[in-house]
Amino acid sequence: MSGQTFYKDQVNSFLKRRAFLLRLGLVTGGIFLNGCYQKAKKNAYNISGNLIGPNAKAGHILRDKTKLPQPGAVKKVKTLIVGGGISGLSAGRWLKQNGETDFEIIDLENYVGGNSHFGQNEVTAHPLGAHYITVANNDDTLLLDFLHEINVITHYENKLPFYNEYFLTFDPEERLLINGEWQEGLVPDFGVPPADKKQIKAFFAEVEKLKNTKGSDGKFLFQIPVKESSTDESIRKLDQISFDQYLKAKGFNSKYLLWYLNYACKDDYGQKATKISAWAGLHYFASRRGTSANAEQNAIITWPQGNGWLVQQMQQKLKNHIKTSQMCCELEIKSNGKVHALIYDVQAHNTQCIVADHVILATPQFVNNRLLKDIERPIDYQQFSYSPWLVANITLDQLPSAKGTNLCWDNVVYNTPSVGYVNATQQQLQLAEDRKVFTYYLPLCDHEPAISRLAAYSRSYEQWLAIVMPELELMHPGISNSIENIDFWIWGHGMIAPTKNFIWSKNLQQARKSMADKIFFAHTDLSGISIFEEAFHQGINAAKQVLNAKS
Amino acid sequence: MNKKLPALLLISVFVVATCGLIYELIAGTLASYLLGDSVTQFSTIIGVYLFSMGIGSWVSKYFEKNILSWFIQIEILVGLVGGFSATILFLVFESIASFRIVLYGFVSLTGILVGLEIPLLMRILKDRYEFKDLVSRVFTFDYIGALLASLIFPLLLIPHLGLVKTAYLFGMLNVAVALIVCISFKKQIKAVNYLQTASIISILLLTIGFVYADKITSFSESQTYSDTIIYTKSTPYQRIILTKKNKILRLFLNGNLQFSSDDEYRYHEALVHPGLQALPFAKNVLVMGGGDGLAVREILKYPNVSSVTLVDLDKGMTSLFQSNKILTRLNKNSLLSPRVKVINADAFSWIKGQHRKFDFIVIDFPDPSNYAVGKLYTNSFYRLVKDLLTPKGLMVIQSTSPYVAPKSFWTVNKTLESVGLKTIPYHNYVPSFGEWGYIMATRPENPYKKPLQYLPGLKFISKESFELMLYFPKDMSKVETDINKLNNQILVKYFEDEWANIL
Repeated sequence: MSGQTFYKDQVNSFLKRRAFLLRLGLVTGGIFLNGCYQKAKKNAYNISGNLIGPNAKAGHILRDKTKLPQPGAVKKVKTLIVGGGISGLSAGRWLKQNGETDFEIIDLENYVGGNSHFGQNEVTAHPLGAHYITVANNDDTLLLDFLHEINVITHYENKLPFYNEYFLTFDPEERLLINGEWQEGLVPDFGVPPADKKQIKAFFAEVEKLKNTKGSDGKFLFQIPVKESSTDESIRKLDQISFDQYLKAKGFNSKYLLWYLNYACKDDYGQKATKISAWAGLHYFASRRGTSANAEQNAIITWPQGNGWLVQQMQQKLKNHIKTSQMCCELEIKSNGKVHALIYDVQAHNTQCIVADHVILATPQFVNNRLLKDIERPIDYQQFSYSPWLVANITLDQLPSAKGTNLCWDNVVYNTPSVGYVNATQQQLQLAEDRKVFTYYLPLCDHEPAISRLAAYSRSYEQWLAIVMPELELMHPGISNSIENIDFWIWGHGMIAPTKNFIWSKNLQQARKSMADKIFFAHTDLSGISIFEEAFHQGINAAKQVLNAKS
Repeated sequence: MNKKLPALLLISVFVVATCGLIYELIAGTLASYLLGDSVTQFSTIIGVYLFSMGIGSWVSKYFEKNILSWFIQIEILVGLVGGFSATILFLVFESIASFRIVLYGFVSLTGILVGLEIPLLMRILKDRYEFKDLVSRVFTFDYIGALLASLIFPLLLIPHLGLVKTAYLFGMLNVAVALIVCISFKKQIKAVNYLQTASIISILLLTIGFVYADKITSFSESQTYSDTIIYTKSTPYQRIILTKKNKILRLFLNGNLQFSSDDEYRYHEALVHPGLQALPFAKNVLVMGGGDGLAVREILKYPNVSSVTLVDLDKGMTSLFQSNKILTRLNKNSLLSPRVKVINADAFSWIKGQHRKFDFIVIDFPDPSNYAVGKLYTNSFYRLVKDLLTPKGLMVIQSTSPYVAPKSFWTVNKTLESVGLKTIPYHNYVPSFGEWGYIMATRPENPYKKPLQYLPGLKFISKESFELMLYFPKDMSKVETDINKLNNQILVKYFEDEWANIL
């Protein structure tokens, strides 16, 4: 399916319909003319809102090597953590838990959380990026401990974690608009021919088998974190072909199944199945085995503000260590073994030098490429490809009624460019208010990421409306009249894309290595999969290395 | 006669055709609204309508003299009949047994009158055109009018005006044609003044109908309730409707019956007394839901109860039952008692912040018919309620009908058990609801003891009747179900399935 033609057809038919109505109004003469005309005269949708995103301008200071003022002050800190996303926060948490308190986490934004960032309006808090986790794998004790610590796991029953019932996604959970009706669940079913259903069943049987298979090294074939997966060549070689190729080779050709798997790739990695490696494509389905005392396997855990809630929990305990609006511009390892970091305060517009024993770069590699410009790092940065995303938060009163399943937490439409929207008010306990906020996710994957990114940065608010509204109207005819506000948020480098020959490449192995036991790396782009769990382990991993390193 | 007149008559054809089709569509839509099965309704209405038009055309040959005057009279008549059709049909729907006879009578009458129009018009115009031109022009305008009607009816008229106003609007157009023709052909018509006056009066009548159309539709709402509506109010949460018939008051929330004053005592006595009578020490009582104050009325019969806290979402509801004379007579001013504190809050949010303990808790929420209310029947909610119970305390929950919805009823039971409570399910017969269910729950270490006697003056509950209520016959006996949780909301699904068979 091509997203581009979708927009065009939608817009054209929309225009035709509008013109037709207008003419009809003229014919009836006088009585209705006024109303129709006024509606057409206003901008297409009469919706207000903002177009924002992470501080690209500050980021571009790095890229464009803008001249900065000379550092005014010098500050010493034992460990400097650059980047306050989940990786950086997790590293800080680990240091603190292990008695190390001399550290600082800096972030160039005026908030921490990276792409788990969230927003808040008068209706509800809502995600701007990452918005859920799943029940943890039972062998992931580090993660289980953390979840227990923050009361996501309240207690254990028969050795099984009992998840906080206010955080498990409230029912109804997922629905898909397909063949004219909202069906329950996201796997195509309503109006799907038996032959396709058979393939869908076969695919899930296949991944169920993979899920429970261990390699010759005794490790599961697919594990979270990624690095704990089996090293068996027979399975790792799946990283060299695309998911699409893999599926074709397996004889899967049902358009419904392929749509679903393509949707999954877009949802998890921001890219289509033709771009994603087969290993990564399967990892999503075959790596989650978490069970619990009170929820289904793989049950989803979420909050109104998405993973922003997790950020708040981590942040609270690290309050005194976090400095925001601080951009690291340059790193240098001095002959005395100290690392000098040049820090630019994007609000005060001054610079300082932080002298650290160790630095954890909890930043993506495209940023590190600029930070480490004078330090040789034998890797190819071009191999790291990041998917751009548009996230739209839609405030509306009363959703038009539709055929089939009621509003769910996750709402997806078959064969459209977006991956649907989540209802930020799902976890509300009060009797539902009519006003809601929907967080709509659109992966910009129709072109190469660099091109999509550039195009995304250059679009105006109205242009985004023209892209998003036809799809929303398709989901819910008449929804335009209920929408009060849409805020657009653009992630230029939304998440790492696990393309072919990436996750198990020599290049990535090399990129994970610390530099002279001074600079350590923690980021999901080093796992190849952008999920909370990976970031969490990345941080711990780097913190452990710091604790082991001699000062 | 000047040259403009034929053109005027052709425009009349156009308007007449539009109006004619609109009446047909109104009748069809109304019939499918009120009777359901739109395919049958539309096809029979169209059939009857077309056939009646045929009759009209056939009858037209009997009109020999004063055709123009006849045409004007028919226009006025069509306007009146068509204009008032929707209103009359709406109003008679509830009150007469053979609605269909009235409906098809109207359709036939309109059909016959509309069927008369075109032949008469053609005869008026026959000397002014050649036959082939006449036929071509008249039918062209006729069919264009029909197209316009069929397009604007669903796209503009129904969404913007509604059925009743649309009918009046086109009635006015019809009569306007009569009036204009009347004025233009003044010299050729006998009794022109009479016809003019008649059309002006008709237009006025139709305009009045148009202006008051909203009043009429709300009156017709009152007709869908069999009793007289004495009070209606839309609050942010619900539409409250109170009806009265032969001294019997009925309260409807969003169209669902909440109580009927002749038998509500059966429900409220059953809800309150088996529990509260067993707690002679009870001082503090909590009622959640139950903004009508009827459960509180029963609770206040116990002198040992010193404070009742009522938590109800809707201030509109509690205020009504504090101020309306008829209603305060019914709840014996319970919500105005100094022992009672009314809190308007969302139960789930309210209970999360509570620490005060209660000896007796009554949960009287609406049935779990949607996901929002379903949350108030989950284990998470019951866990919070349990925390508010004093060690020897007891709670009781209205739990829908164990006869109609056994799975729903036993799900509530199972969910209460899952949070570590010992349950005592029971039921009774409330004529306006049917067989109804309640569940009491205590901490297992302080099991429930059946009261040996009840307060004097109760109309339903006694030691003996309660014994019967504890027994579940086979058709209501316990079924295995899951626990209702926030993340599965199975109760809402069961409830929907089970009541779908009834409603």
